[in-house]
Amino acid sequence: MGRLKPLMVRQPRIFWRKNYIFALALALLLALPFIFTARFQHHVMIKVLMFAFLGCAWNIIGGYTGQVALGHAAFFGIGAYTSSLCYIWFGLNPWFGMLLGGILAVAVSAVINYPCFRLHGRYFAIATLALGEIIRLLFTNWRLVGGALGVRLPLLPESLWNFQFHTTKLPYYYITLVLCALIFALVYKIERSKLGFYLRAIKESEEAARSLGIDVAKYKLVAMSFSVFFTAMAGTIYAQYILYIDPISVMPLMTSLLICVVPVVGGAGTLWGPALGAPILMVAIEYSRAWLGGGGRGVDYMIVGAMMVAIIFRPAGLISFFQGPRFRQWWKRIRG
Amino acid sequence: MVEKDKRMKLLEVKGLTKKFAGLVANDSLDLEVNQGEIVGLIGPNGSGKTTFFNCICGVYPVTKGSVRFEGKEITNFPAHKICQGGIARTFQLVNILMSMTVLENVMVGAFCRTTNTNRAREIAEGILEFAGLPEKKDILGGSLTIADKKRLEVARALATKPRLLLLDEAMAGLNPTEQKEAVELIRRIQREGITLLVVEHVMQVIMPLCERVVVLDAGKKIAADVPERIANDEKVIKAYLGERYYAKRATLRSE
Repeated sequence: MGRLKPLMVRQPRIFWRKNYIFALALALLLALPFIFTARFQHHVMIKVLMFAFLGCAWNIIGGYTGQVALGHAAFFGIGAYTSSLCYIWFGLNPWFGMLLGGILAVAVSAVINYPCFRLHGRYFAIATLALGEIIRLLFTNWRLVGGALGVRLPLLPESLWNFQFHTTKLPYYYITLVLCALIFALVYKIERSKLGFYLRAIKESEEAARSLGIDVAKYKLVAMSFSVFFTAMAGTIYAQYILYIDPISVMPLMTSLLICVVPVVGGAGTLWGPALGAPILMVAIEYSRAWLGGGGRGVDYMIVGAMMVAIIFRPAGLISFFQGPRFRQWWKRIRG
Repeated sequence: MVEKDKRMKLLEVKGLTKKFAGLVANDSLDLEVNQGEIVGLIGPNGSGKTTFFNCICGVYPVTKGSVRFEGKEITNFPAHKICQGGIARTFQLVNILMSMTVLENVMVGAFCRTTNTNRAREIAEGILEFAGLPEKKDILGGSLTIADKKRLEVARALATKPRLLLLDEAMAGLNPTEQKEAVELIRRIQREGITLLVVEHVMQVIMPLCERVVVLDAGKKIAADVPERIANDEKVIKAYLGERYYAKRATLRSE
């Protein structure tokens, strides 16, 4: 994506020379719910964090490995359904349900996505998109899991163990924040490890990757497994947050697209990309929905569409504004 | 010659045939490469040199025949297994990782033998020093000159610690100075104890470099000998320069 800039020396580590950026961001995020205190503002912040988390998860397969998967909502839904149904059927605690959902999503993705790895570029995207829709339709018509009526989670006394909070949204915010920090650390680690190098090599050229001893299919599967595991975890958080799930709310194409567009707007294949894309997109989407009321239905889709068009002019994403030589000069000056 | 026969057979190809639909790209080729040699593989365009490489490296499944490396059967192994087994290759059309830096390109190769990032970086830096690219390590692969890209591809292949290196037209597109540097690099690689099989178009380059030359034409092996004799081989000259040139040469000689 940065291919158009000849002779550009790659400088991805500008943020990491000084770790205080990370500490500052974390402190700001911890304090944010006390700066904006309205319930709706909390809801928007939870949505932002959730999609930052989902964006980071997608980034592993879509950004670093370059396999544009467009069916992630299915795995988001699988996570939501697994934890919810396991609680209703077997009384399994949603925290364990969250892990089980992740494992189940990995299993399902291994079966249905593995054959797709033979496809490249847009064909892979189309195949995953279709598979995501197939899973949604399957759930819509599957009576055992509630069909189109969905699943209503029983109300329980609020506690961390029950994963339910009714008087305030704050715990959901902090739970999502912790998960965001975890995935951020994981992606940071992957970026600097053999796995990260291999994934990026696969993105650049599968033929070259193979000639260097990389088992391309295996590493794509590893990346996809990481990705869908965390996507499913986010599904459980959503289910516990809304306490009601149905195929239209957890598996829509819109969610699949958002999961992909968030990191792409921010900068696909970069650590900070999803963190930049999520606030811009989600704040715009949630507020357009709130301000325009029922009549605003569809405006959120337009925003996503407009963002996708805007990205044509900045294919490396918003992150590229922070990687140019002019920014580096400015950064040096303020650092003194 | 007696001394040479004592050397271990590193690569042994027997009766390798590759058919694409109706086209026979490689017709029961036999080839042996001994430990420590530089073997040249030449032939006109479309004679099946690159196909032959791809069959050895597991890019294409072979139709018939066998490939053995260090005495072990490796026919139709997947490409990554071949590399892990000790055969590295470069590509005819440069196939470097364009938006990764030179150092990162070589590190990807180095990860073939280690899982530690610092160790991979050390290996890669050593290899870049060896290949003469150390001051370019932070430049994006895509912004190198063609000669440096080819050099980088060799460096990246070396980072996988191969015992046999297959070079596919490493000299194509280079000017005479760059060609001389490339030849020098190949010599240094040989001195490191790595055996080389070199596909080449540029005859002047390959002749002084190789101990043995194998000539392909239309998928068949038409000659295999020391370079001096290959240069005067009637079949080779016909294949390369055409019947007319051969006839002309004959008349020139007789005059």
